[in-house]
Amino acid sequence: MKTQTIKKITQLLGMLMITALFSNPIYAQNKDVASATVAGQELTIKGKVTDEKGPLPGVNIVLKGAKVGAVTDENGEFTFPKLLSSGDILVFSSLGYEKQEIKIDAKTTFINLIMSDGLIEMMGAPSSSKPYKSKRSN
Amino acid sequence: MRYLLLFIVAFQSHAQISDFDHINFSKADQMALLCKNEGLDNMPELVYNLTSNLDTDIERFRAIYMWVCHNIANDYTLYLKNKRKRNKFKNDTIKLKAWNDRFKKEVFRKLLKQEKTICTGYAYIVQELSKLANLDCKIIHGYGRTSMTNIDELDPPNHSWNAIRLDEKWYLCDPTWASGIPDPETNIFRFEYNDGYFLSNPKLFIINHFPQDQKWTLLENEAHSFDEFLAAPILYGQAYTNLTEHNTPKQMHHSLHKNEKVKFEYQLQKNIDVDSVSFLIDNGYSNKKTSPNSISIEKQLLILEHQFDSNGFYDVHLYIGEDLISTYTFKVKG
Repeated sequence: MKTQTIKKITQLLGMLMITALFSNPIYAQNKDVASATVAGQELTIKGKVTDEKGPLPGVNIVLKGAKVGAVTDENGEFTFPKLLSSGDILVFSSLGYEKQEIKIDAKTTFINLIMSDGLIEMMGAPSSSKPYKSKRSN
Repeated sequence: MRYLLLFIVAFQSHAQISDFDHINFSKADQMALLCKNEGLDNMPELVYNLTSNLDTDIERFRAIYMWVCHNIANDYTLYLKNKRKRNKFKNDTIKLKAWNDRFKKEVFRKLLKQEKTICTGYAYIVQELSKLANLDCKIIHGYGRTSMTNIDELDPPNHSWNAIRLDEKWYLCDPTWASGIPDPETNIFRFEYNDGYFLSNPKLFIINHFPQDQKWTLLENEAHSFDEFLAAPILYGQAYTNLTEHNTPKQMHHSLHKNEKVKFEYQLQKNIDVDSVSFLIDNGYSNKKTSPNSISIEKQLLILEHQFDSNGFYDVHLYIGEDLISTYTFKVKG
């Protein structure tokens, strides 16, 4: 009885391993074929955000006028969590970079975006409540 | 039609907070308070939470501005470091740019991790959050003058603030100076919100804010020179909560004879008690609190007159109640 159970488990594990072996190449093909599925007018949008130095993690992406959004991972990649339709606008923002808006059209599947540094000069004079005092020679 | 036009021209005032007297900001201020614990790592969500319940652009901008002023601390150490480097590289544009690029990264890292910054950081955050709320907001770079700054004509700009377009009109605000004051002795920043820097009167603003691009004085029909700006009296934060305009004197430093009359004129925001107006006069040896020789208030126009009865060199500080408003110096000779 006990040996039969072990046999069954071994068989099952074997089957699983074989399945895994076969399914792997299929998955790889799948990935190459399409990063967007078109369901009617609804699109799954994926993309990658970079700057001149490479992938940009932590970029906020929101659908304009809605609360739904995504953040790029450490490879600068994202998958927008909501199906989008043509005409929707995605807003990309990250501290220190120029905000960008991308309009989705029916052909959009993958967004490759390069963000540029905001051209800003850094400086700062703090306020002061210290009364002015003249420099006197005496 | 012609009369209507005349009417519009005659009653055109400078863009300032009084344009929005009909708006109650308590709801916008409440939204800023509710988002107190949110950080900058998700700016779109922060903007959504701040603005989605508000009906007008001015309220949406108010909520963003209030959030920045109450949540971002001014980093005095960072300011000093930048000031040192900027002065060092002021004649070397390549090195200055390289420094600026490096420093910028540090500022953004501090902003994100510690919510600390220097003034460009404030103006930048106000601009970026506003953009996410579809508001037209700009950073204005220029010169800011306080009792502690000593601006030389050749110095690079030292301050940044914002312009915001509301109902087709541009307004000025200074989130850095509105947020609080760093103690120059201890370098510790103290949050102390000053509402006077929100949509300030451009005529008051120009006295201690000189933009690099002159159109951002928002004083279209007036020419203002950098020399005038450098020669102007020192204004303090409380000037912005007490005055709408500082009319005279236009200069900080004065030289006059004994018993010669000096006239001061200010437009007040609200009626005040004549007795609350005083001078603190420093002759180099001691400070003396005194009343100006004459004080009159009519239709919120405050007029003071004063004479000095002995020779000397005086720093004169104007106070309204406990509020320090402005400083002038007088050299009095026989």
